Amino acid sequence: MAEKLVPVVCPWCSVGCRFYIVNVNGYPKKIEFDYENDIRNHGKLCPKGVAAFQYLRHPDRLKRPLKRVGERGEGKFVEISWDEAIKEIAQKLSEIKEKYGPEALAFLGSERCSIEENYVLQKLARALGTNNLDYVCRMCQSTAVAGKGMLLGHPGLTNPFEDIFKAKVIVLWGYNPAATNPVFFGQYIEKAILDNNATLIVVDPRKTKTAKYADIHLQPYPGTDLAVALAMLNVIITEELYDKDFVAERAEGLEELSKTVEKYTPEWAEKVSGVPAELIRKAAITFATAGTAALLTNEGVNQHANGTRTVMALTEMMVLCGYFGKEGVMSGAIPGAHNGMGAGLMGVEPDALPGKFPLHAEEHRRRIEEVWGFKIPEKPGITYVEMVDALLKGKLKALYVMGTNPAKSLPNLKKVEEAFKNIEFLVVQDIFLTETARYADMVLPAAAWFEKDATAVSFERRVQRSFKAADAPGEAKPDWEIIVMLAKELGLGEYFNYSDVDDILREINRTIPFLTGATPERLKKNLKGCMTPCPDESTETPRLFVQGFLTPNGKAQLIPVEYEEPGEVPDEEYPFWLTNYRFVGQFHTGTMSHRSKSLSKRWPEEYVEINENDAKRLGIKDGNLVKVETRRAALVLKAKVTPHIREGVVAVPWHWDFNYLTTDVLDEYAKMPELKTAACRISKVEG
Amino acid sequence: MSKKIFIDFKRCIACKACEVACEMEHGEARIRVFEFPDLTSVAFNCRHCEKAPCVEVCPTNALSKDDDGAVVLDPLKCIGCLMCGLACPFGIPKIDEYNKIMDKCDLCAHRRAEGKLPACVSACPTEALKYGDINDVLWAREGKIVAEFKDIGDRTNVLEAYLIR
Repeated sequence: MAEKLVPVVCPWCSVGCRFYIVNVNGYPKKIEFDYENDIRNHGKLCPKGVAAFQYLRHPDRLKRPLKRVGERGEGKFVEISWDEAIKEIAQKLSEIKEKYGPEALAFLGSERCSIEENYVLQKLARALGTNNLDYVCRMCQSTAVAGKGMLLGHPGLTNPFEDIFKAKVIVLWGYNPAATNPVFFGQYIEKAILDNNATLIVVDPRKTKTAKYADIHLQPYPGTDLAVALAMLNVIITEELYDKDFVAERAEGLEELSKTVEKYTPEWAEKVSGVPAELIRKAAITFATAGTAALLTNEGVNQHANGTRTVMALTEMMVLCGYFGKEGVMSGAIPGAHNGMGAGLMGVEPDALPGKFPLHAEEHRRRIEEVWGFKIPEKPGITYVEMVDALLKGKLKALYVMGTNPAKSLPNLKKVEEAFKNIEFLVVQDIFLTETARYADMVLPAAAWFEKDATAVSFERRVQRSFKAADAPGEAKPDWEIIVMLAKELGLGEYFNYSDVDDILREINRTIPFLTGATPERLKKNLKGCMTPCPDESTETPRLFVQGFLTPNGKAQLIPVEYEEPGEVPDEEYPFWLTNYRFVGQFHTGTMSHRSKSLSKRWPEEYVEINENDAKRLGIKDGNLVKVETRRAALVLKAKVTPHIREGVVAVPWHWDFNYLTTDVLDEYAKMPELKTAACRISKVEG
Repeated sequence: MSKKIFIDFKRCIACKACEVACEMEHGEARIRVFEFPDLTSVAFNCRHCEKAPCVEVCPTNALSKDDDGAVVLDPLKCIGCLMCGLACPFGIPKIDEYNKIMDKCDLCAHRRAEGKLPACVSACPTEALKYGDINDVLWAREGKIVAEFKDIGDRTNVLEAYLIR
């Protein structure tokens, strides 16, 4: 038995943990912890990481291309050969393009595929003449990208992990790292709190494992945290707690912002959000007078129809206090999956080119056209959720889905199912037969993360290489190979002349100036990777905004933010606020984690968390079956009666059927749907 | 000197990485995380007692202490009589239903032989689990205070300082 240790990047969240897969003759035997290299997780792993290879050899893995024989959604398929599959897909895509124009085609990339794969996917879409491209960042980070992008010119996490030790105050806003990023929490945040006496402020309607460590815990109603943020801005400005020199030198728009937030007093915010005014004042003063602070946000902020506004208000708090560009501070939103940031950087977006340059930026378009050798379509495409409407209206005819599961992750799933029934041609390439794949005309078996050489960008902006640690089952192929095969069949072979992933990465190095230094050679030699921007092979950028912001004039733009309610608020008919959360041992729509034995054994099912006082009033006892009903649908779930959620709010983990309940109201800037809250009513199911 | 796994319950976030890591290593988790209503959580495994009742009652000498002080099971000697399970004050040894012999934590004997830490300790993202000698672990946890005691020598002052903190 030839045993070898293959270094890989963890395929789950975006901390970028490294470990080894012990490979025996192409078969993954187990994992081993990596203490040797100077890596970010210090050898530590969360339950998902430890169980990372379990789904690899699950019997459900797709092994051969499939063609639908039954009705859409039924999931009946027959096996066909790769040649036939690719030929048929190419023919159908060409036909639709010919008949309806390239705008009738759309492509979905994936945060779970490598940067190389996302790069070739968006290149293929653009070669076919469409910008109808998106990936799940739209439902996860897009508000943070839009908000911080407008204010600072760059949405990324500003500082390296180590800086969190030096932060005097850590604010975790709508973010529960103890469950979503346990290694980052344990190795950095918890150490800062317990070993370095940092103060922790948590903003979350639930008392989470993270909130257990909080000195100040604010519990607003879901989506009303914008009111809390505005009130904190009000306190910081009216009590003159801000850094006057910093603001004078590096920001503009304070006057207008002051005028706007004048009316948003803590007392006003108390009425809107239910958080005591005194607590808001205390949090604002603690944050502003700390000297160094880290403000980390996540879906609790992002996934709202007012998400961009909240992100803007929070970023303004950081700017006002002069916390950018220094040691011991940190600001950022944490992408869900290991390559959430990488896929975005590759330009899998309807209005951005590789490198996140806006589509209308003529100079960048010309430059990239020169590298590619064909013209990039100029008209911006449509976003993820808008594709559903376009499908229903018949404007969109074909959808090509790579490694993502919209039939479970999109809001208002009943409508999504209608849309998928209405589609003319759907291709899904994935590792399992997902809910989306059941609607597909053609399903292509892809290699999983450990079954290919791949590069990912962690939320620290760190580019890292993961190596092939196992053979793919059956005839499954890496996603990039499938796309290159398809491109060749479509007659676009001259633009897709790659023999391995290194070729693609080298082209990325040429196309995206701030990734020029992340060459295959550098990443293979240096497992710790490098932090972008890395314009050449010896450079990396651990801290952003040291000299100035990346806005055109180098100054942070303090754009005034007005209060706006989340997408749906309770009324008499639907009196409860419904929100969602994550289990530490489940991941996204569960495509991989539901098929992991150790994880599904420990986190087997969903339940609805309800406050003990609310439960008493409604006559619900722990373990009772209750019906959770919104305007869209109803779910019957077990009740978990707890004091750890605020009254008037109920919460359901989102890894199962949560999205049948959600509304598809969109954020006006980022087109983020309102995923985090809905109005609901609850009743005990008799019998 | 005997080494054991100690738990700093202040740091435990009930992520169950230890359970899953143990399950990956042994097929069945031999460590368990207990969660309490007030959000406290405690990971609990075999204590590898100095005077181990399980070792004392075992009629076939299947249980013994190894060089590191871990209580280990010899599967070839075990007859699955369950005496160890009854004698253990913590109810740690469990019957392996398939093989009809006992199963218990051996502090990952095979990993220790390779110079590695037990799997649960290796994984623990918050370092709530620590493997070592009790004095070393205590020194690492409370050493700062002890050092202050030694430095100042004035017991009352240090105690006051400690209480204020």
